[in-house]
Amino acid sequence: MVNLEEPVLKVVDLWKSYGKLEVLKGISFELKKQEVKVIFGPSGSGKSTLLRCINMLDPPQKGEVYLSGINLMDKNVNLNKLRSKIGMVFQHFNLFSHLKAIDNVSLGLRRVKGMSKDLAKQKALEALKRVKLADRANHYPAELSGGQQQRVGIARALAMDPEIILFDEPTSALDPELIGEVLQVMLDIAKTGTTMVVVTHEMGFARAVASEMIYIENGLIVERGIPNHFFESPKSERVKHFLRQIDVLYGKHEDLIKIEKEK
Amino acid sequence: MFQGSSNPFEIFFYWDEILTGFIMTMWLYGWALVIGFMVGLSLAILRQYGGRFLSPIATTYIEVVRGTPMLVQLWLIYSILLIPLGRWTIYSNFTLFGRDITVVFFNARIIVCIVTLGLNSSAYQAEYLRGAILSVSAGQLIAAQSLGMSKVAGIRHIVLPQALRRVIPSWSNEASYLPKYTVIVSIIGVADIFNQAKNIGFDTLLYFPVYIFVAIIFVILISLISKLLNTIHKRTRIPGL
Repeated sequence: MVNLEEPVLKVVDLWKSYGKLEVLKGISFELKKQEVKVIFGPSGSGKSTLLRCINMLDPPQKGEVYLSGINLMDKNVNLNKLRSKIGMVFQHFNLFSHLKAIDNVSLGLRRVKGMSKDLAKQKALEALKRVKLADRANHYPAELSGGQQQRVGIARALAMDPEIILFDEPTSALDPELIGEVLQVMLDIAKTGTTMVVVTHEMGFARAVASEMIYIENGLIVERGIPNHFFESPKSERVKHFLRQIDVLYGKHEDLIKIEKEK
Repeated sequence: MFQGSSNPFEIFFYWDEILTGFIMTMWLYGWALVIGFMVGLSLAILRQYGGRFLSPIATTYIEVVRGTPMLVQLWLIYSILLIPLGRWTIYSNFTLFGRDITVVFFNARIIVCIVTLGLNSSAYQAEYLRGAILSVSAGQLIAAQSLGMSKVAGIRHIVLPQALRRVIPSWSNEASYLPKYTVIVSIIGVADIFNQAKNIGFDTLLYFPVYIFVAIIFVILISLISKLLNTIHKRTRIPGL
């Protein structure tokens, strides 16, 4: 049904400030279906704010956000309904701590999509299978490792069958040895055609699946291009410097994904 | 002239009065706790999520009620409500071990007491509940909204189930203060356990034994309440936390 020509998400000249602090100063980009866009940049550059502006959890002051042609800044749209079509995965997972994994995933299906309890559970279990956690369905979040919690978070977003999923630094709160399993799941869903905007410093992941990478600093897009552009010939000195820095601080983690693949 | 008894156990001759007093105390306590909880929960939600207009109203209510003596509140509500409520009584009679026992459920004074205790308790319960709501991380509501749930649905299905579990330990303070606060109703002549003890003391001059006995009843009652709430807290604990 989705017109392949029409972008799934189109962000036009987004401005956001908190008091005098300007966080976003005119960000524009768009994604077609099945595209994966990686956004990166130094901390405090506005990446997370950008994601919260896109699903209007923190509405921007100026600009437009179109989801399959519908303007989310329009006062007449039903934001709750539109948000159900925009999945979100959080840095700190934000799983509902009083609910089992399966109920975390099925809650939206029941309360928002109005599915029956049985159907919602069945769909939720399918989503948990996609993140390889069907065997943990009846565990509470606090009984799961960070990596497992984040995979439940991804399943929760996937289950809603959204048009796009926003990832807000999904691996940066994880212990290093748990990053691989989450990246692997993200890689899998990216390859099966999920449209994604991913804020991350995981350059291995970006290199593997990004259709475009966007470097943001101080609320502005400094440089954008395909992964090869950034890894081989980034233009600005700031990007070069930043890429060197995260290489040292985070490592490439490319091995993590590969190791998982060979298993 | 009636001579005071020197046998302290003579107070048990008045067991029926102590019993009806105890029933009255528990009756007032139950109503006050439930009304206090319902109004308190609404106040907590309004204060936390009520925005620019409702939040200050809830805050003002809470601060005024917490900042004034309950005795003053009782007299105020008494003077406002007593006459409009009129003269009527809902009660029940029965015979127990050869004594005719009358349990009064409602009359104007009892309603004044229930309203006062409930509204007073609501301000304290609101603050316990608000603390628990605040302790649920903001990310929980954001995650609910990101799934497409409205803010109200998120509060109802995500924030409150967690807050209500977390509030139990601090809320047990209010649950165990409140039975003792109910004794204030004896001031307007409601026959609670304290008022009955006073009357027994007046009849027998056994003030000391009867007050000690009432104190023991309170100790046992409040221990049971604490124990019950502890059990509920353990049973509703979220696994892994």
